[in-house]
Amino acid sequence: MSERASNRIFDILNVLIIIVVILVCLLPFVHIIAISLSSSRPIMSGLVTFFPREFTFEAYTKVFSDMSMIRSLGFTIMLTILATVLSMAMTIAVAYSLSKKELRGRKWFMLIIVVTMFFSGGIIPDYILIRNLHLLDTVWALVLPGLISPFYMIILISFFNSIPKSLEEAAEIDGTTHLGTLFRVILPLSLPSLATLSLFYAVGRWNGFQDALMYINRPDLYPLQLKLYQMIQNNQVSELMQQEGLGMAQLMPESLKAASVVFSTVPILIVYPFLQRYFISGMMAGAVKG
Amino acid sequence: MKAVKNTTYLRRNWQLYALLMLPVIYFLIFKYGPMYGVQIAFKEFNFFEGIAGSEWVGLDIFREVFQNNDFFKALRNTLLLNLLDLIISFPAPLILAIMLYELRIIWFKKFAQTILYVPHFISWVIIGGIVLQVFGTESGFINNLLTGMGLDAIPFLSNKHYWLITYLLVGVWQSAGWGTILYLAALTGINKELFEAAEVDGAGRFKKIFHISLPGIKTTIATLLIINLGNMISIGFDRPFIVGNVAVRDYSEVLSTFVYRVGIESGQISLATAVGLFQALVGLIFLLGANYASKKLADESIL
Amino acid sequence: MTTRGSKKWASPAIAVLMASTMLLSACSSKEDTASGNAGSGSPEPATLKVEVFDRGNTPSGYTISDSYLTRLVQERFGKPNNIDVEFVPVPRSEEIQKLNVLMASKSEVPDIVFTYDSGTFNRYAEQGGLTDLTELIDEYAPNLKKFLGEDTLAYGQYNGKQFALPGRRLVLGKYAGYVRQDWLDKLGLPAPTNTEELYTTLKAFKEQDPGNTGGKVIPFGVSLAAAQYEPLIWSFIKPLTDEQRYTLTQQLGSSDYPALLPGFEDALKFMNKLYNEGLMSKDFGLDKDKKQLWQSLQNGLVGFYTEDAGEPYFTWNDFYENLQTNVPGASITPVDTFTNAAGEHAKPAYAPNAMYVMIPKSSSNAVAALKYLDWMASDTNLFDIQFGVENENYTLENGVPVVKPDATSEITDRLYNFGDIAVIVNGKFAGDDAKNEAAYIAQTPEKFQADMKKSVEISNVDTIQPVRFGHPIEAEAKYGTALADKFQEIIVKMTMIKPEQFESTYDSMIKDYMASGGQAILDERTAAYKEMTSK
Repeated sequence: MSERASNRIFDILNVLIIIVVILVCLLPFVHIIAISLSSSRPIMSGLVTFFPREFTFEAYTKVFSDMSMIRSLGFTIMLTILATVLSMAMTIAVAYSLSKKELRGRKWFMLIIVVTMFFSGGIIPDYILIRNLHLLDTVWALVLPGLISPFYMIILISFFNSIPKSLEEAAEIDGTTHLGTLFRVILPLSLPSLATLSLFYAVGRWNGFQDALMYINRPDLYPLQLKLYQMIQNNQVSELMQQEGLGMAQLMPESLKAASVVFSTVPILIVYPFLQRYFISGMMAGAVKG
Repeated sequence: MKAVKNTTYLRRNWQLYALLMLPVIYFLIFKYGPMYGVQIAFKEFNFFEGIAGSEWVGLDIFREVFQNNDFFKALRNTLLLNLLDLIISFPAPLILAIMLYELRIIWFKKFAQTILYVPHFISWVIIGGIVLQVFGTESGFINNLLTGMGLDAIPFLSNKHYWLITYLLVGVWQSAGWGTILYLAALTGINKELFEAAEVDGAGRFKKIFHISLPGIKTTIATLLIINLGNMISIGFDRPFIVGNVAVRDYSEVLSTFVYRVGIESGQISLATAVGLFQALVGLIFLLGANYASKKLADESIL
Repeated sequence: MTTRGSKKWASPAIAVLMASTMLLSACSSKEDTASGNAGSGSPEPATLKVEVFDRGNTPSGYTISDSYLTRLVQERFGKPNNIDVEFVPVPRSEEIQKLNVLMASKSEVPDIVFTYDSGTFNRYAEQGGLTDLTELIDEYAPNLKKFLGEDTLAYGQYNGKQFALPGRRLVLGKYAGYVRQDWLDKLGLPAPTNTEELYTTLKAFKEQDPGNTGGKVIPFGVSLAAAQYEPLIWSFIKPLTDEQRYTLTQQLGSSDYPALLPGFEDALKFMNKLYNEGLMSKDFGLDKDKKQLWQSLQNGLVGFYTEDAGEPYFTWNDFYENLQTNVPGASITPVDTFTNAAGEHAKPAYAPNAMYVMIPKSSSNAVAALKYLDWMASDTNLFDIQFGVENENYTLENGVPVVKPDATSEITDRLYNFGDIAVIVNGKFAGDDAKNEAAYIAQTPEKFQADMKKSVEISNVDTIQPVRFGHPIEAEAKYGTALADKFQEIIVKMTMIKPEQFESTYDSMIKDYMASGGQAILDERTAAYKEMTSK
């Protein structure tokens, strides 16, 4: 078999497999969308799979007319941007310094940071710290505690290290300072990895709610995912419902839950396509040549 | 002599230390600040006396933990599930990323990437519902197909051996697409000229994958592998808790769910902290060990 | 790089950082005081902080801490007493975790907190974190004391001191059985009245498939919720002596568990038989939130099941309506089926208490907190919180409030969260027991009310009362949650196992149960019983 023919077979098989994977990944979400557009009876009877039954927009009308959802969306977008920008700035700073093998004390700094990947004081000292810093019920309680992820920092260090040393050295010979090298050489060459980590931070912040659960009491500072989580959990605790007795149970319609899932997922899903251009073409080749 | 050396070193590198300042402050305040909490593991925690006021009990809590049969079952299962994940779920995003990278049609490539990471955004409670609809014995999608063809239903969720498969599949489904992002970013760093040169030499697709793509992202793979090994003893809460059920608790009970049920739900903060401390120590040793091994074997290290 | 060099560099760096640490915290505290003072008005009203559950279901236009009811509280209680009532949301599903943290922080904990979890209450009381209300209640909350009554108040005592005010539970019956009447009619069978007849009925449902489900019939619908298996299990428990009742019962969480009671094994054997004969839901062990059961019910696949009495007639998920749409002609009838050795329809009932309402010791507002709870028990305050405005939310029929079915959502939204605000009671309080029951039944649509009434009656027949010691069993607080999970594991495994493996597995599972805390509870209870009887 010729090289070309085998390449062709490879391509076809590859596309086919990816299509299957796409379906497997997409169908559950299609299912959720279908539920968000269906009426209660077919949902509760388990009749909705991939197409809406007894089509209705009611759930979306409710979501979009709920000002607290809209406000929460706005707040979450603001929060995500703020947290991502600060996290990236801090992570770049620490990763760049620690990517310098010749930095004295590097090992110790590394150790200090890596230890925090494993050891933590626990939920009660965390809460007391946030209270003592007077951060309860402020946006900072959702930004500062998770500012730097040691895991992402390590990844960024490894990306920085993969940039050919010759480029840095050239800059240094020109008399450029470390900061100059960082901004003029390293960062422009690292756009794919910066895009990746920004996405990771942003998605982590967007999906996170555990901290808000503890630190936030003011409804206007509820991130979207916290609202969503409570909505979903509300129907889950059958044991609790039994304690509360029948008159008290307040179920949330499944379609409303599904519509809220769609409402809170789509905004972050569409971030990726915008970042994609950084992954598609290699920047490196051109940069090295130029 | 030395002093001069130090001054020049400082003059040349002070910016690096300046850059480190805020991050290190951050770690000291937000990570080391609450660290005094680990002493709860050696105290009988009283909510109202606080951490300082609670009574020291030495290693009593650890003794209690290590005498608990469920703890060892949970420990064994944590290692078992993580090991299976390492074999199955760790390579999955790598393979997928290579496949995506090899796609020739740009729009399809973009589209595929966007879709593949959708599962990462579906919350676990909802995944739990979907899992039951897909894998359920009585009315699950797959079993409906099987029984429709006249075959026997497979207890994907209620037989503990089948459950392991289900657990792995759900994990791969949920995280593989998301995991590709990192590898794709690393792949963009490979010099295109290498591929062009290989093409001139008449190298086939597999040859290019194994001789250019994979070596090109070796560092990323090693980094992730080391961190994964460091996490062998800790395990996320949601997947075993949501996908697991009482019928398969022999396998689905892991350290995180154990701590949740025995420690947190019952207000036994000391016990939860002791287990956490044990995990942290073992985890750190695993990580340093993996890092050392990787340095020796592949000249890759993260520290 | 040498270690020596790095040490030299690390220490001054850390010193600098420590200094900046303090700077940072100083900055943030300034910022906070500036924002913290906003919103207070006239001559320094005291602030009373009250916990409220956040269930994520706030209707549009309200927030969890600002709704019709919170305004009502402020208007009627806050203003006259110069108190600002502030509601502090606690997420329903993580309430214990958050409450623990708030308690540990001291400064942030509300003046009034509550939980359903008896273990949590006992823990707080044991660790000395709660205000002793024994005398305060006489002085500041006489109406509340009268409203709750001795029986209910007893549940909030710890070693003779009143550390919690348990909410009063109005509906004490728990369970009823439901059977498809149209299937019975088709097969010419009578409604089953005892366990044996039920078995015959289930068999007939399976073999003759009166619903034409094409083999999908589930004669006995079960999920992992207590309502589906408790009535069956408790009916197998043998008649008990007082000593057995006190020592062998295990209270895990808020309910009594029968794991050590004589007859428990027989109950499991019966479930095992039903399962292996294909008479029971196959996936019941996976059905944590009843969703599968509901689905099968609505699709008309289930012949019989037990449930919280009256559940099918409440309209929150339109189960009955959906069933009748999906399967025209389908109808269900409440039945009392499981019988014990004495021929009684024995089944568990609720204790007369609900939430444990507590005032933390760190609160400096204990008096105001009691006044607030007393206010709630006085005049028509509780009634107005639970029922709303006459002729808008409800109409009075023979003194019984009946919810207006045609009220707009704007009007019904007023009552949003009423259950979590009216913490002194569980269930709607209409005046007296008879009115309460009438009001309870009147919550369901008129066409279902006869069946609803029958359900409530069934739930009150031959009830098994919870057992109570004068002081809490510490081992139960410690092992309760873990053992409750083990208990479910026993039920599921013993039901699904092959009959020939039953005996050996049962023994090893009970052994594991005992080792995981069951024995400790047994020992403590035995000692407590000795002490109780020797007095």
